[in-house]
Amino acid sequence: MSLQETHASQSMFLLDTHCQRKEGILDEEALQVTQQLLSSNPDFATLWNYRREILMHLETVKEKDEVQKIYEAELAFLESCLKLNPKSYGSWHHRCWVSARLPRPDWSRELSLCDRCLSLDDRNFHCWDYRRMVVKVSGVPVAQELGFTDRLIGSNFSNYSSWHYRSTLLPLLHPESPESPSPSHEPPQPSPSHSPQTQSHRVCEEQLLKEYELVQNAFFTDPNDQSAWFYYRWLLGRAEREEMISCVYVSRDEERVAVAFSRPVNAQSVSLLLVLDGQPQKVEWKSVHPRFKHSPVCICDLPPGTISDITNEHNLTVHWTEKYTHRDCALYTGRTESWCRDSATDQELFRSELSVEKTSVLQSELQSCNQLLELEPLNKWCLLTIVLLMRALDPLGYEKETLAHFQTLKEVDPMRSAYYSDLCSKFIIENTVLKMEYAEVRVFSITDKNLTTLCHLDQLLLVTHINLSSNQLQQLPPQFAMLQCLEVLEVDNNRIENLEGVYHLPKLEEVLLKNNKISALADLQPLASCPKLRRLDLRGNPVTQAANIESELTALLPSVTDLLL
Amino acid sequence: MAEEENQFEEFDQIDFLRDRHVRFFQRTLQVLPERYASLETTRLTIIFFALSGLDVLDALDVIEKNIMIEWIYSLQVLPTEDQSNLSRCGFRGSSHIGIPYSTKGPGVLHPYDSGHVAMTYTGLCSLLILGDDLSRVNKQACLAGLKALQLEDGSFYAVPEGSENDIRFIYCAASICYMLDDWSGIDIQKAIEYIRGSLSYDNGFGQGAGRESHGGWTYCAIASLCLMGRLEEALSQRELDRIRRWCIMRQQTGFHGRPNKPVDTCYSFWVGATLELLDVFQYTNFEKNRSFILSTQDRLVGGFAKWPDSHPDALHAYLGLCGLSLIGEPSLRKVHPALNITQRAFQHLQHLQQTWRGSAGSCSRQH
Repeated sequence: MSLQETHASQSMFLLDTHCQRKEGILDEEALQVTQQLLSSNPDFATLWNYRREILMHLETVKEKDEVQKIYEAELAFLESCLKLNPKSYGSWHHRCWVSARLPRPDWSRELSLCDRCLSLDDRNFHCWDYRRMVVKVSGVPVAQELGFTDRLIGSNFSNYSSWHYRSTLLPLLHPESPESPSPSHEPPQPSPSHSPQTQSHRVCEEQLLKEYELVQNAFFTDPNDQSAWFYYRWLLGRAEREEMISCVYVSRDEERVAVAFSRPVNAQSVSLLLVLDGQPQKVEWKSVHPRFKHSPVCICDLPPGTISDITNEHNLTVHWTEKYTHRDCALYTGRTESWCRDSATDQELFRSELSVEKTSVLQSELQSCNQLLELEPLNKWCLLTIVLLMRALDPLGYEKETLAHFQTLKEVDPMRSAYYSDLCSKFIIENTVLKMEYAEVRVFSITDKNLTTLCHLDQLLLVTHINLSSNQLQQLPPQFAMLQCLEVLEVDNNRIENLEGVYHLPKLEEVLLKNNKISALADLQPLASCPKLRRLDLRGNPVTQAANIESELTALLPSVTDLLL
Repeated sequence: MAEEENQFEEFDQIDFLRDRHVRFFQRTLQVLPERYASLETTRLTIIFFALSGLDVLDALDVIEKNIMIEWIYSLQVLPTEDQSNLSRCGFRGSSHIGIPYSTKGPGVLHPYDSGHVAMTYTGLCSLLILGDDLSRVNKQACLAGLKALQLEDGSFYAVPEGSENDIRFIYCAASICYMLDDWSGIDIQKAIEYIRGSLSYDNGFGQGAGRESHGGWTYCAIASLCLMGRLEEALSQRELDRIRRWCIMRQQTGFHGRPNKPVDTCYSFWVGATLELLDVFQYTNFEKNRSFILSTQDRLVGGFAKWPDSHPDALHAYLGLCGLSLIGEPSLRKVHPALNITQRAFQHLQHLQQTWRGSAGSCSRQH
């Protein structure tokens, strides 16, 4: 500890011992000593607290005018501290406190302090936070602050902190009107809590168009500065879609009901009510895999004999009681299964990155970005934004261009090429889901596309045949167990070493795993949970070299009659 | 201002000067130059950087662990005989207030003595790193002190008499509860609401609602949610993907903390660990990251600085090592990305927690 600090703590010890006996007499000295110390070390938090105590005490014994003077002196002292160290938490916090206690605050003086501080460092977030407090407490109109950001951005488009501030102001001034298409028809839910992404922070359309113009000026002027691009992305974005049951599936053979939700739920705690032919059913909802507790798909088994008679028609309703929503499903005579769903297309599932605004507006934005791309063909922000717009307008129609742009992205921003590959895989999966739905088939096929991971598996609840051959997959994770209708799994020529997700798939009959990396019998354990499995192709896997593999497999998987090693 | 992507030369074969870094941390634990005097009140955090740094370097044998353990326990603010100061308990940053040295209770009541949430956090980490079994930590007192710091909006003060409040201290609180295996010190639901409210328009996290996104606060947000076991409940897949995108874009060569700011060694950990927790760290460019970190290595005195040709300091020295550890630098121990201690120290913690649960019978862990 330095000499200074020793002196400080000794003084304090002395001082407060004194204070306990003679209140107020040594306050002046205490203020002087702490002032000296804080000038050189504004992060000595205890000293600021000590000062606050003294000041609060003085408030009770001095006249209002004197108190005003004392606090103004405090502000002057703080200004000198901030000049030395503009990023001290202690100093800014104390200034907040003083400003709030000043009998006659001078808010314009505080704003001008902020202006000066920001002119030296426009990214000083302490100063920005302080400014926000001043604006709030003094009631500066939002429109005036918006004008402030206009000036800052106008003089320097690259002012990221200004764009950020604007993003918080704009929705206050021009909120989305209640009549505009808003996903939620119910009264506002108490949770989850708001973030700028959620509905209440969106901006009305008229103002949005003006903002687009402002932002386009910015990124046409300096296409390499990311400030405007991030702001633009936010402008184009939209709220989360409403929460609902996206699919109810029922199967007579297993007497099982599977429910898919628009977001993951916890099977144990989600409030679901199953009504069968007008009668509430007591069932146990579970997730599809014990290691996958927070999942968009839940399943339950009906008591045996409930729906097994194919000559009976049944009506099911699943109520998601806490969200005041439900979905019906009718199981007809002669049919072994039934479902009711909104397709990914209906839900605009993959397009919902962007706003629900008029297509013409998005077309026009796409046009502007394409114009910029002609001038700046290697600009990654432009490419990313174009991809976003194309996926919003017509994911299948623009598929070829999207893939080409991803290729370019990997070339112009090679540092992130692995990330772009992953993003591209995701889009390929999304497009395959859409194509599958347009064709109204239950077959999902992506081969030879360098897929390394899987996503949107909740969209594959109804799929009966899946072909993922010739990719780079290493595992079929627990999420894979959402494919409750799967009958045939083709995943030849990958790098599969983990089959965790092939778990209790009641209809699974064939698993084709040629040329993968299954190395131990234990890796195949999950397959034993699939009662209908009869055909298994393990050729070209290390596990086939193990001793006695054939007899071990027969013991593990007795239902398999067609085993290829 | 255009991105400065060619700011730094490509270094081909920079050696990692392990011994210099060991010496750097050793000196940190002994004597610091006068300009460090202002850090006296937060001395325990500097100790943590040095200890954990030595741990990452697998060089803890160069220090006398028992002496350190005693010193850390002397910083514990213990309950007084009448337990009237429970809401002020925890660990203090150093002896600067002048409380007489003592490693056992009962505590001495002093109007200006209290725990500080970041000191309690780094104090517990340091004890774990040194192999202590935390048996002398008054857990109930620490948790009572912690509880007293949480505000209505879910954030935390650093000290009971008040200070600024934001997401940094939520992270400290979550770490404390995680280590003590007891979540009674924090209202998790409120903390989650504060964290969610800090998500900014560009999908980074600010220090609080309406504040600018920043790599450090994003780490605090994500790491806290991971420690609480609530990452996927608190944030939707879509939000997580957007957050991944904001974080991935922070890499220039090394990482910066905010758009249009220069790269800084410490963000190789803050952002790197966040990406690791979000399962996408493998999509970053390891080579460029490594080159940048090593360009800030001080070849003379050891340690790392925030920028090349700058003075090294304990924080950047430690986080630079953690950044290298994340990319798998050989000879460095692996770091637990959420708790920010080595996996070795983490395993010691797990072992301790098993014995606690064994004797207690019931489990209050959040997972």
